[in-house]
Amino acid sequence: MTKLFLTILLMGIFLISINALLGSKVSPLYEIKYPAYFGDRIFIPADNTTTEAGVKLGRMLFYETALSAGNTISCGTCHKQELAFTDGKKMSTGIDGSLQSRNTMSLANLLWVSNFFWDGRAAGLEEQAKTPLTSPHEMGQSLAISVAKLKKIENYPLLFKEAFASDSISEQMIVKALAQFERTLVSADSRYDQYLRGEYKPTKSELNGISLFYTSPDPLKNIRGADCAHCHGGPKTYTELFQNNGLDSLPSDRGRELVTGLDIDRGRFRVAGLRNIAATAPYMHDGRFETLEEVVDHYNEHVVSNILTSPFLRDRSNTLNGKSLDLPKDEKKDILAFLNMLTDSAFISDRNFSNPFSK
Amino acid sequence: MILIRFCFVVLSISVIFFQGNSQTAATKPSLKVSGQVAKLLTLTAEDLSKMKHVTAILKDRGGKNVNYSGVPLQDILGLAGVSTGGQLRGENLSKYLLVKCADGYEVLFSLAEVDSSFTDRVIILADSTEGSPLPSDRGPFRLIVPGEKKPARSSYQVLEFVIRFAADK
Ligand code: HEC
Ligand code: HEC
Repeated sequence: MTKLFLTILLMGIFLISINALLGSKVSPLYEIKYPAYFGDRIFIPADNTTTEAGVKLGRMLFYETALSAGNTISCGTCHKQELAFTDGKKMSTGIDGSLQSRNTMSLANLLWVSNFFWDGRAAGLEEQAKTPLTSPHEMGQSLAISVAKLKKIENYPLLFKEAFASDSISEQMIVKALAQFERTLVSADSRYDQYLRGEYKPTKSELNGISLFYTSPDPLKNIRGADCAHCHGGPKTYTELFQNNGLDSLPSDRGRELVTGLDIDRGRFRVAGLRNIAATAPYMHDGRFETLEEVVDHYNEHVVSNILTSPFLRDRSNTLNGKSLDLPKDEKKDILAFLNMLTDSAFISDRNFSNPFSK
Repeated sequence: MILIRFCFVVLSISVIFFQGNSQTAATKPSLKVSGQVAKLLTLTAEDLSKMKHVTAILKDRGGKNVNYSGVPLQDILGLAGVSTGGQLRGENLSKYLLVKCADGYEVLFSLAEVDSSFTDRVIILADSTEGSPLPSDRGPFRLIVPGEKKPARSSYQVLEFVIRFAADK
């Protein structure tokens, strides 16, 4: 059984690579540029390499209202570029007028993510895209109908041909092109990046914010910190972890537990990347906090400490035997100063990511 | 073309089949051993409790020694037929063990680093501490790696050991 499976798997991989080779002949590969300090732990499936034509098509599909029932909304309706691909709402409204059950996530640096959504239930961007496209509460249209509609819209048959070297349009091609476009959404030109590249001199408050963000407190040694990086670690401010950050004593949304079935995963959500965080209010999976001040207050004073809460948020304090972080006002301001450094205005206004249909 | 289609169909069926398996296994935390193994293993808490236990010591955050009891890592790897002892030579020395935890945390060891023919240090997969089961925020299984300056590899809520070759692309 395993042998047969392996043989088939190998054949599959072989065929996929041939497909990829053929594909790349048709359109040049798209080079996704990112700084070395982001690391190369990136996720691009072998059967969907990123090409110039694929990204161009994906960008159009991202803003294409014909992909929704009634032709009224697109991905870009909930994921607006000027808000780092969020929409400023606690819960976004879908095609049927109903509210989403979780807050819309920002789309930046998805190249480094392998499990999508707040609970990580979608493995890969291709699989992820099927949910908003077909869910009756989001865009509400089957992929088959989307294919039929696109076939009748001028330009699309040609664009698909350029991207996938095929005379027809398939459901899989739609999600593949969307995924290719989303992989190019790299945000790496904030003031923090300019500082990392040696091009910007942070203020005293920003510098102290960086230090607090990365340091674990130890009152015995007089080391001050907020230890945010334990979860939001590294220059990407992202590590793929699922944690319970102490929002509720009885989580009403079970989060990761819904995916794994494990009760130790109750109320765990994927650690959010903090890039462009000042542009993506409200915050958390349920959009409960309207401002970053409230977020910092949460971590500093209001973390619910029970067996579900991450051990890294319990009993960490800047005062001896303290039960919360206990940072004074000015240090909280320093952390906010750092969070505000993460806004990347070049990303938010990049013409390569904007709606190609609006002039 | 028909052959290609057929392969893809079978491929996707097998993928679904395999995913289905891991879904049901995940309902109660259990330990999987996968990758370059002679035998894929899934050990429940009960399976592990029946294996030989030894004690290992780890300092807590306050610097106090804490006793943990668990199964030597090498015994678990041996059960899955991972290369150990005399087999750990040549290309087998470029094999590694990736430890995966419930929250997505991952740490890595080279196989030689955890093998008794290379080192006297005994790493265990602990299932109890000071006579009681591990608290659920760290258990049911925690890796205890004695003798390290940082406890970062003594990972909580271990779910899987994956054995692979380090292959540079
Ligand atoms: C009605 C609003 C809405 C529309 C339309 C929408 N999304 Fe989303 N998007 C959301 C919400 C809400 C979430 C988080 C849902 C969850 O975690 O359960 C999300 C999450 C995502 C994520 C996960 C990001 C991450 O870091 O895991 C991606 C990627 C994404 N959307 C892409 C798309 C694409 C592509 C489209 C168009 C095909 C689209 N979205 C259309 C609301 C929307
Ligand atoms: C134990 C891990 C952990 C630590 C430590 C941690 N966070 Fe978080 N953070 C999370 C998780 C998990 C989420 C998503 C939770 C949710 O939505 O339910 C999150 C969400 C956030 C968000 C909201 C993101 C969004 O898009 O809505 C911000 C802002 C944030 N954290 C900032 C911080 C700051 C500042 C610190 C340090 C004071 C910190 N975090 C420490 C795990 C952590």
